[in-house]
Amino acid sequence: MLSDTTGSWTPVALSQDLPAGTVIPAYIVSGSIALWRSDSGRIAASADRCPHRGMRLSHGFVRGEAISCIYHGWSYAQSGHCLRIPAHPGLKPPETIRVATYVVEEADGVIWVAAGAPGSMPPGLDGFVPFRSLTVHAARAAIEDAAGATAGPEGLVDITSGAGNIRLLLSAQDGDRTLVHVLLVGEADAATRISASRTVESLRRTAEDRQEKAAAQ
Amino acid sequence: MTDQAMTMQAMIDEWYPVGLLSQLQPGGRKTALMGAPIEVACDAEGHARVTAADGRVLPVRARYGHVWSSLGAPQKELFPIPEADQPGRRFVDVGVVRVRCSPLRTVENFLDIAHFPFVHTDILGAEPHTEVQNYKVEIREDVDEVWATQVKFYQPQASKSASGGITTEYMYRVPAPTCSVLYKTCPPRPDEWDVITLFVQPLSEDLCDVWPWMALFDDETSMTDLIHFQQTIFLQDRSILENQIPRRLPLDPGMEIPTRADLTSIAYRRWLKRHDYTYGAQLVAQ
Repeated sequence: MLSDTTGSWTPVALSQDLPAGTVIPAYIVSGSIALWRSDSGRIAASADRCPHRGMRLSHGFVRGEAISCIYHGWSYAQSGHCLRIPAHPGLKPPETIRVATYVVEEADGVIWVAAGAPGSMPPGLDGFVPFRSLTVHAARAAIEDAAGATAGPEGLVDITSGAGNIRLLLSAQDGDRTLVHVLLVGEADAATRISASRTVESLRRTAEDRQEKAAAQ
Repeated sequence: MTDQAMTMQAMIDEWYPVGLLSQLQPGGRKTALMGAPIEVACDAEGHARVTAADGRVLPVRARYGHVWSSLGAPQKELFPIPEADQPGRRFVDVGVVRVRCSPLRTVENFLDIAHFPFVHTDILGAEPHTEVQNYKVEIREDVDEVWATQVKFYQPQASKSASGGITTEYMYRVPAPTCSVLYKTCPPRPDEWDVITLFVQPLSEDLCDVWPWMALFDDETSMTDLIHFQQTIFLQDRSILENQIPRRLPLDPGMEIPTRADLTSIAYRRWLKRHDYTYGAQLVAQ
């Protein structure tokens, strides 16, 4: 991952895991966020809390170009402004009702969110293509240890296996969890993908084992 | 006095539900009340007996299908529900639902109707019938209870005894900090109200056991179906309650934004604050 400073990019999800008209929870340094894609395909990220009664917006639903809270249906635009309060259909919500939003970029199949105002674009992937993501119940150090490699400043770890070169993109979550995006070179065939999946699952078990042992000490 | 003791002070003398009367056993059942382990059992005569971990025998009431107890010395008798003695009603022990949230949040959710179309979709509400009409809210000083009246809402399937959509009228009562009594249009008996209660046992400030109980006019529906209907509703509520941030109920303004539809919740929060009923509340915005 990039250094934990304001304005840094976090690779929160793969594009393929966020179809149009859906919302998912994601995590950046400042906390959990609601990541959603409108029916027309535009991506937005907001604080994961409806200001009305504190319900997580990532449990909500997307309709058209807005995200709605599942509790009372309050809906918000990509800008974060409240558009509608269903209990009062005739009321135009005041400007002051809004959720905090974050800058989002989608590039090469990865969705990046910035905690503040980023000074640059997210890093490129050098021809690697996103394959899948998995959550590892271990911190970055345990994953590096298991991989026998050190992550670069952008959270990239390169490993070699029977499946060829695999690149991991690490994203810290809450607790000692890490979201790991698995990238492969170009368009990998089915056998390569299966082999890569097994390699990464094995890496996950090793990392979680080391994390547990470290915690027990 | 510790912070914990300060928080508990005003609420420690209240009555709380701690189990079902119908499930009392001589061997006892271990549970908790406001962080303290307690045991609920029945004695040789079949009477409910509640004891603290140090063996202290706690006050007990057997009412409304439940055993009630208190860690303190209750100054007031358990609140009345006159309908509990009315002939012709069926009394339904719904059972228990454990919810990982503040007991106060659970009560507040029970007082809310605006969530029906979104959380209890096609049962207690449905779009586009989302509007909350004006209703009346007051704190009745003579009985020291929060009351909301003339609450009306369109419901596709208001109860097991309702056939098709009807506009249901509600009245809400909060007679104790973690209990609410709902009076609701009774489809087979238009001159009477169905009674649905929410009795909440505070296990800790952010964990509770919810014991819904009903006193209905319904001779048709099987007991199983009545229980399942209510459990479905409460499980839908739980998916909300366990995902609100913060887990405790914010009593200070600024943390959340109420509207006119939330007048009952506003009165409830004001009443809690007035009485220092802050066990399960968050007082400083974080």
